[in-house]
Amino acid sequence: MLIIKDLHASVGDKPILKGINLTVKAGEVHAIMGPNGSGKSTLSNVLAGRENVTVTSGSIDYLGHDLLALEVEERAREGVFLAFQYPVEIPGVGNVYLLKAALNAQRKHRGLPELDAMDFLALVKDKMKLMEMSESMLYRAVNEGFSGGEKKRNEILQMAVLEPRLAILDETDSGLDIDALKVVANGVNSLRHPERSMILVTHYQRLLDYIKPDYVHVLAGGRIVRSGGPELAHELEKQGYAWVGDGQSGQEVSSGS
Amino acid sequence: MSMAIAHYQSEFERLGALLPWQGSSQWQLWRQEGLAHFAAQGFPSTRQEEWKYTSLTALEKLALSCAPGDSAPPVWESLEGHVLLPRARHRLVFVDGVFQPALSRLESLPPGVRVRPLSAVPAQDSAPLQAQLQAIRSRTPFTALNAAFMTEGVWVSASPGACLDEPMMVLYVTTGGGRAHHLVNAYDLGAGACLTVVEQYLGLAQDPYFVNQVTGVQLAAGAQLTHLKLQQEGARSYHIGALQAVQQGDSRLESHAFALSGAFGRNDLETALHEPGAAVVMNGLYRVNGREFQDFHTCIRHESPDCTSDEYFKGVLDGSGRAVFNGKIVVAQDAQHTASRQSNHNLLLSDQAEVDTKPQLEIFADDVKCSHGATVGQLDEDQWFYLRSRGLESDHARALLIEAFALELLSGIGDTGLRAAMDQLLRGRSHG
Repeated sequence: MLIIKDLHASVGDKPILKGINLTVKAGEVHAIMGPNGSGKSTLSNVLAGRENVTVTSGSIDYLGHDLLALEVEERAREGVFLAFQYPVEIPGVGNVYLLKAALNAQRKHRGLPELDAMDFLALVKDKMKLMEMSESMLYRAVNEGFSGGEKKRNEILQMAVLEPRLAILDETDSGLDIDALKVVANGVNSLRHPERSMILVTHYQRLLDYIKPDYVHVLAGGRIVRSGGPELAHELEKQGYAWVGDGQSGQEVSSGS
Repeated sequence: MSMAIAHYQSEFERLGALLPWQGSSQWQLWRQEGLAHFAAQGFPSTRQEEWKYTSLTALEKLALSCAPGDSAPPVWESLEGHVLLPRARHRLVFVDGVFQPALSRLESLPPGVRVRPLSAVPAQDSAPLQAQLQAIRSRTPFTALNAAFMTEGVWVSASPGACLDEPMMVLYVTTGGGRAHHLVNAYDLGAGACLTVVEQYLGLAQDPYFVNQVTGVQLAAGAQLTHLKLQQEGARSYHIGALQAVQQGDSRLESHAFALSGAFGRNDLETALHEPGAAVVMNGLYRVNGREFQDFHTCIRHESPDCTSDEYFKGVLDGSGRAVFNGKIVVAQDAQHTASRQSNHNLLLSDQAEVDTKPQLEIFADDVKCSHGATVGQLDEDQWFYLRSRGLESDHARALLIEAFALELLSGIGDTGLRAAMDQLLRGRSHG
C-alpha cells in the first residue's frame, strides 16, 4: 500500500524528517508515536501534500504511484485521506456541499456516475448515525462553530463517506473527552477493512486503548527509532519519551544503517 | 469652461423642451438650478478629497447624448434570465431610459401604495415629488446634473400603515452605447409603511454609456424600507449613483448595494438618522476584475439619540481591479446612546489589484458605542488546502472560498426570497 524510503523533508530551511523508512500493507493499522517536535505532523503533512513542507530526498510509493508527484487533490481522489489535527472552519461553505462535492470528485475520477442528491443524502445520513451526529450539522458551514469533539467527528464522517484506501489520522484524540473519544474510535474501528490501511499519529497511548494498532513506531528527531507491536505503546506510557532522546543516539532499529 | 460643461449645456438647450413637466415653472427652475450648479462645479478632479482615488477624465471626454434611447426594446424572454426576481408581481422595466409598459406589471397593489414611472406623473401631481427631491441634502455635480436632465424613474409612495408585502423589481436595462441616462427613484413611506424594492441596473451594451442615478428615500416614523441595488453594468460603462435617505423616529432602512460588474462605478450612499430610535443597516459588496473600478462613499449621520447603524462592506478584487471604500460616520453632539458599527473586509486575489479603504468617524457626543475595522487579506491557505485535501479541484476550491467570502454578507438580508435569489446569483448558478 505505502512504502516510504529514506524520506528527508524540511520546513523552511529546517530539516525535520531525517530518513524515514516505513512500509504499510493493506489492512494494517500503524501507530506513529513520539514527543512534540519529533516530526509526526510533518510526516502527516508530507503524505497529504502540504506545500509548506519540502521533500529533499527519498521516495513514497502509494499503490504503485509516486505519491510525491501527485497534487493534493489527486492524492485525495486516489484514496488518501488526512484527518486533520485542527480541522479548519470554512464559513460560507456548507458541510453537506463539501461532502457531496468531495465524493463526486472522487467518483468522477474513478469513472463512476455522480450520486444524485437523494442517494447522497441517504448515504450520509447512514454514516452520521455511526458518528452519533445530528443531521442539523449537515446544513451548517464546514466546522464553523463546531466544538472540538464535533470537528473530530466531522473528520471521521468525511472519512466514512469517502472510504479512503489510506487514512492518516493526525492527533485525532487531542481535545476529546472520553465519551467523544469512544464515539470517534468506534467510527474508525468500523472503517477497518482488509483493503484499507491507517496511520494513527498520536502523542498519547490513550487512543490506542480504543483503536488497536498492528504496529507501533516511535518517531524522534525525524527518524523512527523503534518499532514493535501494540505492547510498545504501553511501554511508552510507563516510561515516557525521555529515553528516546533526540533520535541521534544510535538506538535506531528500523533504518538498518 | 471645460468642454464637458459646454457639452452638457448644449445638450440642455437641445433637449430642454422635451424633458418632462416643461409646463411647470417650478420644474423649469429646478432644472436650471441643477444645470447652473453643475456648470459652477464641473467634473470633480482627483485633487478633491472625496474623489482622490477616482478619476473621471475618461467620462469627461465622452460626448454623450442625454436623450432617451429610441431602439426597439428587447423581448421579456431575452431579459428574464438576467432578472434577479423574474417572477415578481410588481415590476417596472426601463430600457435605455424609456419606460416599457409591455415589459412591466403592477398587479393588485394594496390600498395606500402608489407606484408610478415618472413619465406617468402629470405635471400637476408632481409637486410632492419635487418636495421630496428637495430634501436631498448633499449636492454633488452629479446629483445636480441629474436634476437638470432627469427623464425617467420610479416614484413609490405609501400612505401611513400601507405595506407592499412582496419585493418590487425596478429594472433599468441599457442596450446601446453613446448615451447618458439620468434616472430618479423616489420612495416616500408614511408612518409605519413598509416596502422592499430591488433596483437592478443591467448593462447589455458593449459600448460606453453613462448611468447617473439618484435615489431619494423618506421614511416617516416607524416606516421600514429594504432597498437592494444591484449593478451589473456593461464592460465599458460608467455608473454613478446616489442614495440619500432621511429617517424619522424608529424607522428602519436596510440598504444592500452589490456592484458586481461595470468598468466604472461610484456610489454615494447617505442616510440621516433624524429622530430617536431610527436604525440603518448599510451593507455592500464590490467585485472588480480586469481593469474595473468601484468606489463606495458612505455617510451615516447620527443626528438624534438612541439610533443604531450597522455597516458592513466587503470587496473582492482580482486582475488589475481597483476599489475605494470610504465610510463616514458623523455623530452629532446630542446624539447620545448612539450604537454604530462599521466593517470593511477586502479579499485581494492578485498582485495588481488594489483597494483604498478609509473609515472616517466624526464623533461629537460622549456617550456612544462606535466601532470600526478594515482588513485587506488574501485567500486563506489552510482553508484552500483543506478543500483540496478532500479532492476538490484547486480552481473549484478557490471559487468556493471567494463565494463564501461574499455570501457572508447575505445574512444581513431580512427578506428570505431576496436572500435566496442573491445567494443563487453570487454562487453563479442559474436562476431556478
